[in-house]
Amino acid sequence: MRVQESGPMALLFQRLGPKVLIWFTLTFLVIWTATPIIWAILSSFKDPLEIYESKSLLPEVWRLDAYRKVLSMPGFSTWLMNSVIVTVVATIVPLILAILAAYGFARYAFKFRHVLLLLYLIPRIIPRVSLIVPLNDLMSDLGLINTYSVLFITYIASAVPLATWILVGFFGSIPKEIEESATLDGANMWNRLRHVMLPMAWPGVVTAAVLCLREAWNEFSFVLALVNQTDMRTLPYQLYMLKDSMGIQDYAVYNAFTILTVLPLLLVYLLLERKVVDSIVSGAVKS
Amino acid sequence: MAEGYVEYRNLRKSFGGLEILHGVDLTIPEGAFAVLVGPSGCGKSTLLRMTAGLEDVTSGEINIAGRMVNNVHAKNRGIAMVFQSYALYPHMSVEDNMSFGLKMRKTPLHLITDRIKRAAAILKLGPMLDRLPSQLSGGQRQRVAMGRALTREPEVFLFDEPLSNLDAKLRVEMRAEIKALHQRLKTTTIYVTHDQIEAMTMADLVVVMHDDRIEQVGEPLAIYDRPANLFVAEFLGSPAMNLIPGTIAQDADGRFVQTEAGLRLPLEPEANGTVGQAVVYGIRPEKPDGRGRGGRYPPGHCVGKDRAVDGQHEAAGGVLPRRRGRAAARR
Repeated sequence: MRVQESGPMALLFQRLGPKVLIWFTLTFLVIWTATPIIWAILSSFKDPLEIYESKSLLPEVWRLDAYRKVLSMPGFSTWLMNSVIVTVVATIVPLILAILAAYGFARYAFKFRHVLLLLYLIPRIIPRVSLIVPLNDLMSDLGLINTYSVLFITYIASAVPLATWILVGFFGSIPKEIEESATLDGANMWNRLRHVMLPMAWPGVVTAAVLCLREAWNEFSFVLALVNQTDMRTLPYQLYMLKDSMGIQDYAVYNAFTILTVLPLLLVYLLLERKVVDSIVSGAVKS
Repeated sequence: MAEGYVEYRNLRKSFGGLEILHGVDLTIPEGAFAVLVGPSGCGKSTLLRMTAGLEDVTSGEINIAGRMVNNVHAKNRGIAMVFQSYALYPHMSVEDNMSFGLKMRKTPLHLITDRIKRAAAILKLGPMLDRLPSQLSGGQRQRVAMGRALTREPEVFLFDEPLSNLDAKLRVEMRAEIKALHQRLKTTTIYVTHDQIEAMTMADLVVVMHDDRIEQVGEPLAIYDRPANLFVAEFLGSPAMNLIPGTIAQDADGRFVQTEAGLRLPLEPEANGTVGQAVVYGIRPEKPDGRGRGGRYPPGHCVGKDRAVDGQHEAAGGVLPRRRGRAAARR
């Protein structure tokens, strides 16, 4: 048998090597993802010319002019409200539908269960661009173009499969005996779902909610195809329109708009992230 | 004690075309502690789950307290079940776990409080009522599971291998606690286990199951002393019963069993069988009655105060009679 000699350097590498590798990878990923956001934040405080001319990343003078311009845009509160309304509905409704669907898929044995679950994925598999023309035709025929309804329908239809797939996994991982125990305790299906299954699948519900919320808040292609009135635009749509309407691109305003668009989502993430992680970790260590 | 508190009549269970319970007939008297024992996959848990209403009955009848419950919903059968995995609600405190069933049944609050207090006192759960299951040890969790069943004041308790997840010491303690609880409440109990020690020490009535049918029903000692067939004889008892093939013979002293190697084994007068019939003679390891003398017994292995020995009797013709004796005596 060959025994490898290990000197102090080899031992040090053995001990610290994996940690250094992990830290290096994480640092690289953080820089990779955070750089554009940091650039956008810093640029939003600069003068438009300074963005092009200055080689410094930091602004010479921290200006709030771009934010003032964005907030004083005549339609900003309307676009913000549109985004909020559509997002709230397109988060809550798919979540309720997905909870019911996922519970059924996870707990009840019925014919073609797996096929149906796969069919659920179709809206996610088909490229969204290919849906735009037929959806536009259909919604025009139904007279729903430029209404909240058209956004609700499309956003909800898009979010339900995502949330269902996430929740099926969470519901499925709850031991069957716990639900059987609740059955023997006299709980009917609704009570089992409400008092036992939902609290136990809470990390999954929060995860699904955050993803639905993010998807609805950032959605762009459907709103672009199904809305053409200025007062029905959402924030991502208006952000896109900003580029054309400005003539010369005012990157400071553009970035300030981006930051204001991202900010609510970022706050929700920061608020829920700890809860989600805590729930997942505590669920993992409980026997 | 009324007869037949829990009765099974030709009970069958099939999954698709596969029958996994072949016509079970069994009567469990009121207040009895019946233990369904058998190897894994013998159908004992299926029988228990059918009793609970968690599995449908394919054919046959289940009667509880004189009422056919085949089509009665699980919550209305008057049963409470303790699961192998405890099946506690991890997000609820001990108190909430115990009161959940009562709340679902819309029991008045003062009654809920009374019952929880009583169950907590019996099971020594008082200081733990505010804790979550994850903050309890295995034994404490098992007691909470029992407490949850207890607060329901059921007509029948069902236990599905409740001690399997506990260590040996705790298992012995919990065994005694469950038995004491039964003696105190006198509620009809059906207990499933694959552990024959649990069956022998806890049961008023042992039901030995094998290959999806009942092999023998009786009091623990009666089954141990007079197993109905080879499976029961081999399954119950550790070390297992010595089984020696032979033929019934007779001389002036009466009937006896003649082994192929010429060993002469006495037969009790009331034993079944006719002269010339091929039989298997069973001897419990702790009861050699001198019949084992003449064998060569190697040192064996110590199992606490006893020493189990595998040896070969000179006249047994390749059969290895197992003996059990005091460890000290062998040294």
